[in-house]
Amino acid sequence: MDMQMINQVMEATGETLVMVFFSTIFSLMLGLPVGVLLHITGKEADGGIIPSPVFNNVLSRIVNILRSFPFIILLIVLIPLSRIIVGTSIGTKAAIVPLSIAAAPFVARIIESALKEVDPGVIQAAKAMGSTNWQLVWKVLLPEAMPALMSGLTLTIINLIGYSAMAGTIGGGGLGDLAIRYGYQRFRPSYLVAAVIVILVMVEIIQIAGDRIVKRMMARR
Amino acid sequence: MHIKLRNLKRDYGSLHAVQDVSLDIPSNTIYGIIGRSGAGKSTLVRLVSMLEKPDSGEVYYDDERVDTLEGKALIEKRRHIGMIFQTFNLFSSRNAVGNIAYPMEICGMDKAYIRNRVSQLLALVGLEGRGDAPISTLSGGQKQRVAIARALACQPDILFCDEATSALDPQTTRSILALVKELQARMNLTVVMITHQMEVVRDACERVAVLDNGRVVEEGMVSDIFANPKSEVTKDFLSNLTNVKDSIVRWSSQSGRFTLRFRGGTTDEPIISNVSNETGASFNIRAAGVQHVGSEEMGVMVLDIGPDEQHVRAAVELLKKYGVSVEGDF
Repeated sequence: MDMQMINQVMEATGETLVMVFFSTIFSLMLGLPVGVLLHITGKEADGGIIPSPVFNNVLSRIVNILRSFPFIILLIVLIPLSRIIVGTSIGTKAAIVPLSIAAAPFVARIIESALKEVDPGVIQAAKAMGSTNWQLVWKVLLPEAMPALMSGLTLTIINLIGYSAMAGTIGGGGLGDLAIRYGYQRFRPSYLVAAVIVILVMVEIIQIAGDRIVKRMMARR
Repeated sequence: MHIKLRNLKRDYGSLHAVQDVSLDIPSNTIYGIIGRSGAGKSTLVRLVSMLEKPDSGEVYYDDERVDTLEGKALIEKRRHIGMIFQTFNLFSSRNAVGNIAYPMEICGMDKAYIRNRVSQLLALVGLEGRGDAPISTLSGGQKQRVAIARALACQPDILFCDEATSALDPQTTRSILALVKELQARMNLTVVMITHQMEVVRDACERVAVLDNGRVVEEGMVSDIFANPKSEVTKDFLSNLTNVKDSIVRWSSQSGRFTLRFRGGTTDEPIISNVSNETGASFNIRAAGVQHVGSEEMGVMVLDIGPDEQHVRAAVELLKKYGVSVEGDF
């Protein structure tokens, strides 16, 4: 293990963190409204607030199609979009675009299923008190689902760490890129090992932190 | 605020949950709606409380039609009613204070006012000092008290109680009913109490409607209905209450089986002895009891009368003359 390798691993770790951080935020921004819509337009028996079967069905199909799209293909398909949004199709910044879009439908489903756990009776009570739909979502649904949302967020971040490793294929940088270029293509297994260890540690930290936060939320209820 | 229901109907597919219900619920009273599970009570309360729209029929609050309200007007109207539930339906993301504050928050009330009003309400329902408690640490009775405080936060005219005591033990049920009665009187509320427990009707309600298969089969003052029940459902509810059931005893096969109901002053007199002396009929008492219905005493007695039809007729006639309601077969 030389200094150069340590520097390279550090740099790649930084790139991975940047990719994961921003794509988590953007996928939440895209997925949250979709997940909320999926839930509130669902059947009343499932806790839907404004049931609209047709809209719900169409949205659900779109989400499913996007979810079943292989990420590696999405990466390539979205090259023009990355160029439009961030001005370039290569590099860490460019990788954030397909990462966010790939994770968004996943986030939407996670949010939908978290909201489904909220007791429909509580929603009915809030409705009977004269809550507007907006208040039902922001003041009741989301706060009530917060622990489930939090563990969903943990899952999303961990998924994105995994996905970000693939972003190396479009020159996205990060630990996955480093492992493939140095570890695999240049026969330097120590790079591979180092990258994998850093990723493992990252995932473990996120998981433990996420679990702690959920636990603390539950303790206050 | 009085509530008027006219020809309410609501179907779920082929299930006629509520069919042709018309009721007048007077203001400033506790009105019971009792029925077995599946009788349509829950649907009815959802229709009356504007949570659901009837297929046909009308709902009026003080002569204002409310079942046709939409959008903002509907939301505004809902803010003037309170509702409590069997499962309490409190927000687990908020403590007691947060729960009680919610209806005021959504109306955009002033923060200082809310804080003040919440502590008033906590005191009103007997939960001083428990405001910071997470909901899960409260007992069932305490949860229902928080729910009551929350329901009354915006000073509603109507309080709907949907099986509000069904998840509580008898002692807690009594304390919650006492609280509802006290608050009803203090705030001039119209309380609509949905239940399947006759003791709730007995202990809390002034009037009652008995629901069966989506229809009102009997309606009136609680004391009248206890003294003189007409429908089979009502009699069934009453026999559950007194533990007097067909299966308990079967004393004789030839003479009939009778249920006598005594009300008010008649419970103070030795009527059975008198009738026995005057007519020569013999009585065999199988079960009897006295209970309080509202402020009145109500006696129930199940007995056989003998020895023959002639004596039975004379005895029944005399009993009725004494003001006792007699049910039974000759």
